[in-house]
Amino acid sequence: MSQALETSYAPPLPGKPSIARNRSLNGAKLWRKLKPYLYLLPALLLLGIWMYRPLLNTFYLAFHKWGMVPGTTPEFVGFDNFARLMENKSFIGSIGNTLFYTAGLLPFSILIPLLLASVTHQMEGRMKNVYRALFFVPMILAPVSVSAIWRWLFHPSNGLVNDVLLRLGAISQPIAYFSDPGFAKWLILFITGWKMVGFSTIMFSAALTGINREYYEAAAIDGAGSLKQFYRLTVPLLSPMILFMLTMSILFSSQWTFAYIDILTTGGPYGTSTNVYYEMYKYAFSNLNAGFSAAAALLFFIVFGVISLTLNQLSRRYSFYDN
Amino acid sequence: MNRMQKGLSALLAATTAIGLSACGAGAADSSNEAGQAALDPANPTKITFYSYSLAAPTMKAGMEHLIQEFNDTIGQEKGVIVEAVADPTYQQYKADISAGKAVDIVQHTFSTLDASRLNLGFKAYEDVFPKDQLEEHLKGIEPNALELGKIDGKMYGLAFTFSTPIVFMNGKLFRDAGLDPTNAPKTWADIKEASLKIKAATGKDGFGLAPNNGWTTEGLILSNGGEVLAQDRKSVKFAEPASVEAIEMWQDLYQNGAHAVGAEAELAEQFMAGNMGMYITSTALYSGIRKASEAGGWDVYGAGLPQFGDKPSIPVNSGSMLAVRPDTPTKNAAVWEFIKFVTSDRGYTIITSEIGYLPLRTALADDPNGLKDFIDKHPLYRINLEQLKHIHPVAIWPGEYASEITTLFSDAIGKSVISDSNVAETLQKAADEINKMIQ
Repeated sequence: MSQALETSYAPPLPGKPSIARNRSLNGAKLWRKLKPYLYLLPALLLLGIWMYRPLLNTFYLAFHKWGMVPGTTPEFVGFDNFARLMENKSFIGSIGNTLFYTAGLLPFSILIPLLLASVTHQMEGRMKNVYRALFFVPMILAPVSVSAIWRWLFHPSNGLVNDVLLRLGAISQPIAYFSDPGFAKWLILFITGWKMVGFSTIMFSAALTGINREYYEAAAIDGAGSLKQFYRLTVPLLSPMILFMLTMSILFSSQWTFAYIDILTTGGPYGTSTNVYYEMYKYAFSNLNAGFSAAAALLFFIVFGVISLTLNQLSRRYSFYDN
Repeated sequence: MNRMQKGLSALLAATTAIGLSACGAGAADSSNEAGQAALDPANPTKITFYSYSLAAPTMKAGMEHLIQEFNDTIGQEKGVIVEAVADPTYQQYKADISAGKAVDIVQHTFSTLDASRLNLGFKAYEDVFPKDQLEEHLKGIEPNALELGKIDGKMYGLAFTFSTPIVFMNGKLFRDAGLDPTNAPKTWADIKEASLKIKAATGKDGFGLAPNNGWTTEGLILSNGGEVLAQDRKSVKFAEPASVEAIEMWQDLYQNGAHAVGAEAELAEQFMAGNMGMYITSTALYSGIRKASEAGGWDVYGAGLPQFGDKPSIPVNSGSMLAVRPDTPTKNAAVWEFIKFVTSDRGYTIITSEIGYLPLRTALADDPNGLKDFIDKHPLYRINLEQLKHIHPVAIWPGEYASEITTLFSDAIGKSVISDSNVAETLQKAADEINKMIQ
């Protein structure tokens, strides 16, 4: 491999005053030092404006009381918001649901997509894409229209699900699924998962195309069956993607369930389907208590920060890169 | 790849954590101007009106008509243009106030009025409108209704669209069950009996009152001699025996197999589809129910809120008031023109005949030039007007914690009715939590 040589230093040309030469030399040096930062500037500006400024604002607001009304100033309240948060039963309850959604989404973001991607990967011709498109369609549907469809399917009196179950004699009374604490959060989980499957399948499919086919041929010659090939070859070679999807799933599950909670149950019945993000949203935009919401956000910033650092470590240790 | 992964994870962590953050405020402090400046028709003043009725399919056309008529007549003549904003979940006006936009008039619900007064800069009518004109205008409006928007002696909301709870009945299902819809059930015991008969005869649900109805619940508690919020608004009383007994009655009704299950919107859909015998909801849905019944080939009957034994029932009101926050003398004048129009005889004629809310200028109901013909044709409104006389306001929760209290209260009611939990314990737990906040 060749290496480019730095040729910025040129011997002084005859007849030029030495002072001017020094100054231009310094200018060039400065420019060379500044150049990489200039390239970074647009990205840094965007990150600063859209991420770090709001983040710092959240830290600030967590210790203040403020209704977000222009012309009013936040009032310093110390740790009051945190104390009130710890006493708030709906917030404590929402943490349990958040864990439920996070763990419950893993089959939909890892297991099922992994199987679907492997099965469709082995298919030949057109059907492969037809199937993958079918899996992906829910992902591109707007959450509001998806919710409307599910709401009608599970409608207590006019819904298809109740109708079929009643006809089959499986139930004797129609069930109000979204008003029943036994069903509401499971349905929210299922609908979010149903939408999630397509996205993960596409990600895993993309990763699968990057695996060298020769490994499978070699394994087959050595007598490995398709199941053995799956967990001895496919899984390790997909490990970076699996860990990436794991991270995504854990960190984003609360956000992905948000839309369905808001539209289908508004957190109910009696707070049994809410999660921390929905609670934070309510504190800030329904109760107009930005400080309280910021305190909750700050706590979860720390929790999710720890989780993502741990996953980062895991990813470093367990990912296998076929470079 | 490794580095990218690391970067991505870090990015994810950061994005996730910054779920919610507020940007700094920019607008200048708006002072409270009590005076009124002259309006100029050549240079009209624009004001905004945030309305939830505009977002409801059964009310939209009527509300649009009301606003349009103002803009075409008085608005044009005096120089005021009202821009309407649909606000289905009462969130838009809060968001827009936070964003520094001009939010001049809001169709505001009752229970959170105090919170808005404290946090969102809404103004008392006495502070922004001319006193003599205000007094003159309020004449003829049901005095009971006027009291509802007052906090600490000042009017922060003028009663606007109003309804009382009505037992809507599906005449066809009643007759199918051998019942007479013109002889409506009077007590909760009657309701239970009729609902079981309808279920047995038709297979359709006999009765529906949504656990998340948001307001009728309070009427239930009051009707049994209970209280929701103490007079001094320093403690809640919904866990005392009379209230508990009322909710236990509902729990029994809900779980007897003849009660429709689901949330408010689902029950409304079920009733309008002709699949429910009796449904308690706001009169505001009457125009929608009427159309649905005509399309479905059944007839609607109505009755007032049922009572407990021989105690007369105490209905609460649902609906809205107009809350205002004009910030200049010109806007004071412009907002006043709009308020005067929509709560005038003409305004209430449109509101009642096209939306379904009550005419708060009750004389209109007997005025041949007003709503007499309409109300004679739809006698159900008489029940409403009758109930208006002994109406009780819904609780206006103490502002600082209004939203948290609303959630705690409605969650406790939901849990008591839907599940087979111990009603007294469930309500007591919620009451203790609320009392801890407000005491």
